[in-house]
Amino acid sequence: MPAAPRLHELQQGFADAVLGRSDAVAAWVDGAGLEPTARLRIYRNTVANTLTAALRESYPAVLALVGGDFFDVMAERYRLEHPSTCGNLQHFGGALAGFIEAMPEAQSLGYLADVARLDWLRQLTALSADAEPVDAVCSAAAAAVAPDSLRIVLHPSVHLLRSTYPVLTLWQWCQAPSGPAPRMDGGAEQVLLWRAGGDVAMALLDPATFRCIEMLADRRSVASAWAAATEVDDEFDLEPCLRDLLAQGLIVAFTNEESST
Amino acid sequence: MSEPLPFVQRPVPASAGIGLRAPHIERVLAERPPVPWFEVHSENYFGAGGAMHAALARIRADYPLSLHGVGLSLGSADGLDLEHLATLRRLVDRYEPALVSDHICWGEIGGVHLNDLLPLPCTQEALDLMVSRVQQVQDALGREFLVENVSSYLSFRHAQMPESAFVAELVRRSGCGLLLDVNNVYVNSVNHDFDPLQYLRAMPHDSVREIHLAGFTRKDRLPVPLLIDSHSRPVADDVWSLYEDALALCGPTPTLIEWDQDIPELEVLLAEAGRAEERLHACRAAIA
Repeated sequence: MPAAPRLHELQQGFADAVLGRSDAVAAWVDGAGLEPTARLRIYRNTVANTLTAALRESYPAVLALVGGDFFDVMAERYRLEHPSTCGNLQHFGGALAGFIEAMPEAQSLGYLADVARLDWLRQLTALSADAEPVDAVCSAAAAAVAPDSLRIVLHPSVHLLRSTYPVLTLWQWCQAPSGPAPRMDGGAEQVLLWRAGGDVAMALLDPATFRCIEMLADRRSVASAWAAATEVDDEFDLEPCLRDLLAQGLIVAFTNEESST
Repeated sequence: MSEPLPFVQRPVPASAGIGLRAPHIERVLAERPPVPWFEVHSENYFGAGGAMHAALARIRADYPLSLHGVGLSLGSADGLDLEHLATLRRLVDRYEPALVSDHICWGEIGGVHLNDLLPLPCTQEALDLMVSRVQQVQDALGREFLVENVSSYLSFRHAQMPESAFVAELVRRSGCGLLLDVNNVYVNSVNHDFDPLQYLRAMPHDSVREIHLAGFTRKDRLPVPLLIDSHSRPVADDVWSLYEDALALCGPTPTLIEWDQDIPELEVLLAEAGRAEERLHACRAAIA
């Protein structure tokens, strides 16, 4: 019998068994009335179930669209291709949208990857840091700064998604999927996500407003955000865009630095 | 952002608390049930902000709190994930919990996390590694850390000592506290055919800071008995009986009811905590 494995070798072998690569580690498992591989299989199943359950929780709209059976097959393949790399399961599954795009079975479901992106962004939005919105004094001081050097720090929960599909309409339909599904040729949608109270809020934006907020989120100056938005729509009006951000408490600082805390 | 007010120190009492899970948070906030203390899974609060933290801050203000981790992977041959440890440290600083714990297990190797409480071989090498890891965690957190014995469904041929000796030595050598999971002792006594009372007797009773109780499920149609630590059912009668033995050995100890799958109404958990409380009461009466 070969020498007993060191801990690292044993754990690598155990992981190989759990991931279905090799059962060689079974030689070191005491069967005690069962096949050693049957005992390893218990762990293989619990690991698979835990990770699939985590994906189901993070991707409720994808699950609603494709159904449990398809989802679980996809989850199984995903976790073998993109294993969990963190002890915190909230980080597991971030690459699912790209994985779906490459899945042959999902080729006819072009919208599915964007729905996955929206599910994931909702999770990020829910878990983002807290921050206090700016007060009136701060806003008044900002008004005195020239727009070409004024920059805006948005709330950490703000996220943006641009889709060529009606992704938000589809996501909302998934919450109570009855009646005809939304038409996939219903046009592009641009979505703003943020946290309102404790809940994740979402809103559709027109393309120019989306572009403006995207530039602001990228910490570009107010003047360049406005310029970029008017390239999309030459009638874009900056004022209601900023007013809405302020009203929702999504501006947490003004700065005239290129990067600021 | 304004600095949060410091919390009042609230030690976990030698009473029966419950593991607080998402489906019950809203009711607990609204109704403030007379639960002596709560425990939450640390990793559920690893996000930076949001509703989960807002709720936990309110609960911590009114109840003693224990942070129980499932993802530190203390026994991985690879080494601790220092980012995970740093996040835990921030969480501990933020909530000043009365107890902080994780498991005697491993879950990561070669950068891949299996996100499970996997069994360590009861070898000298694994014991030495666990001792140094627990010391590393206690140094990083600047406080006492508790380790919990886990359920397991296999043991290794090259084990050099019984699990009870492994656990007792780990606690003694690292100077940490023990979170004694009585259900896990029972599950393992069936799965690995040992006397659970002997196991309890081998524990360092003065170091037991907390006891866990939960329900298991039984695997049918196998040639040998096999119990799964499913946290999906009421505590079994045999486990209640073993809990009484544990109290007789350790004295009144903070006790937690855990339920993680098929989570029932809050009342069911409160009733289970009540059953533990009766036994704690009897234990107090016996030593008075």
